[in-house]
Amino acid sequence: MSDSLPHPDLVAALPRLRRYARVLTGDLNRADDLVQDTLARAWEKRRLWQPGSDLRAWLFTIMHNVHVNQFAVRRRELAESSLDADDGPVAGWEIPVRATQSDRVELAEVFAQIARLPVEQREVLILAAVEELRYEEIARVQCVPIGTVMSRLNRAREKLRRMAEVSPAPLKVIK
Amino acid sequence: MSSNLPLSDDDVHAYADGKLPEARRASVAAALEADPVLAARVAAIRQQNADLRDAFDPWLAEPLPRELIAAAQPPGGRKPPRTRWALPALASAATLVIGIGLGWMGRGEVLQLEGTPTTFPREAALTHALYATDPNRPVEIWANEEDRMVRWLSKRLNFPLHAPNLHAMGYDLVGGRLVAGNQRPAALFMYENADKQRISLLVRKDNEHTSESAFRYALEDGVGVFYWIDDACGYALSGRVDRAQLLAIARVVYGELAAADAAASKP
Repeated sequence: MSDSLPHPDLVAALPRLRRYARVLTGDLNRADDLVQDTLARAWEKRRLWQPGSDLRAWLFTIMHNVHVNQFAVRRRELAESSLDADDGPVAGWEIPVRATQSDRVELAEVFAQIARLPVEQREVLILAAVEELRYEEIARVQCVPIGTVMSRLNRAREKLRRMAEVSPAPLKVIK
Repeated sequence: MSSNLPLSDDDVHAYADGKLPEARRASVAAALEADPVLAARVAAIRQQNADLRDAFDPWLAEPLPRELIAAAQPPGGRKPPRTRWALPALASAATLVIGIGLGWMGRGEVLQLEGTPTTFPREAALTHALYATDPNRPVEIWANEEDRMVRWLSKRLNFPLHAPNLHAMGYDLVGGRLVAGNQRPAALFMYENADKQRISLLVRKDNEHTSESAFRYALEDGVGVFYWIDDACGYALSGRVDRAQLLAIARVVYGELAAADAAASKP
C-alpha cells in the first residue's frame, strides 16, 4: 500500500500509455483524453498500487478498464468493425516526418493492417510484441483467462500474416 | 517431463516471443530443427514483431502535450513547493581535482574546435561538462535570485526565457549563466538532484526560421544530450544520466516551457 505514486516513473510511462491509448482508440485526441482519464483514475486508486510492482502493467490495466467503460456502447461496434482503415492509416497514426518515402509506404502498410484487427486482438498483439508484457500480465490487463489471450494472439498473427500475403508491398524490415 | 508434451500453438508463440520457460525451451528448439515449416513460422512471428516495433516505437519519441504531463501530477493542482537551493557540501579534494581537470579538458576542446563547425548537441555537452563539474561556481546567478536571473538572461539574449520547474523529476534549479555559444550567446540553466547529479538546459535563439523538430539524442564524451527545436529556439538538455531518464526529464522540460508559453500569450 502506498500513499503516492512515483512521479518520475509515471511521467516516464506516459509515452507508452499514450501509445497504448492510440492503439485502442485509433485517434490522437481521444487517445489523449483516455490517457488523462487513466491518470486521474490511477491517482484515485493509488492505494491499490503495490510499490515495487510493474507500474506500467498496472496503468495499462486501468486504461483498458477506463476504455471498456467509456466505450461500452460503441465497443461492440468497434470490436466487430475494427478501425476500418481501408483508406490508409487511422487519423491518430501519423507517420514520422523523418521517415523516408519507402519507409512511409511500409509504415502505412503496417498501420493499416493493425487497424483492421479487432480491438481485443490489436491490444494483445501490441502488449505482447511491442510492450513485451508477459502473457499473464496481458490476461490481467484484459481481465480474461490466459487461454483467451493466447487464442487472440494466435488469430491476430494469422490475420496479419494473411494480410501481408495479399498486400502489394510485402512487409520487410523497416530501418 | 513437461518437455515431452507435444508442441502446441501456445508453445510456438511463447518461444518466438522469448517467453517460454527454460525447461521447455530446449525441446521446442529441437522440434524446430526437425521441422522447417515450424521454424519458418517462428521466424515469421519474430519478423512480424520486429516490424511492429519499428512501426510503433517512433511514437515514444514524440513530445508530450503539457496536459498529459500535468495530469501525471498528484491531484489537487498545487505544484510541489520549490525547495530552496542550499550550498552543497564541499566536494572532497579528489572530486575537486577531477572536476577542474574535466572542466579544463572541456575548455581545451572548445578551443581546438574554434573555427570548425560544432553541432548544437556537442556545444551543449561541452558547456555542461565545463560548468557542471565546477563545485564552487557552476552558475553566475544562483536560484535564490531566480527572477532576477531570468530577467537578466532574457535581456541579454533578447527573448523571454523561462527556467522550467523540474521538481517533479527530483531536480531543483541551481542557477543560470550566460554562455558564449558557438555562433551566438545562449543561456544555461543548471539543476541538481539529491544525489548531487547535475543536468543542464542550454537555450538559444536561432536567427533563421527553423521548423519544429522531435527530440533527438546524442552522446558526446559520455554526456547524454536530448535536443530539439521549438518556435525558432534550440533547446538541449545534457547530463551524465541514462537515456530513458534524460528523455523523461526532457519531456517535462518541454511541457513546462509550453505551459509558460501559453501563460505568457494570454492577454
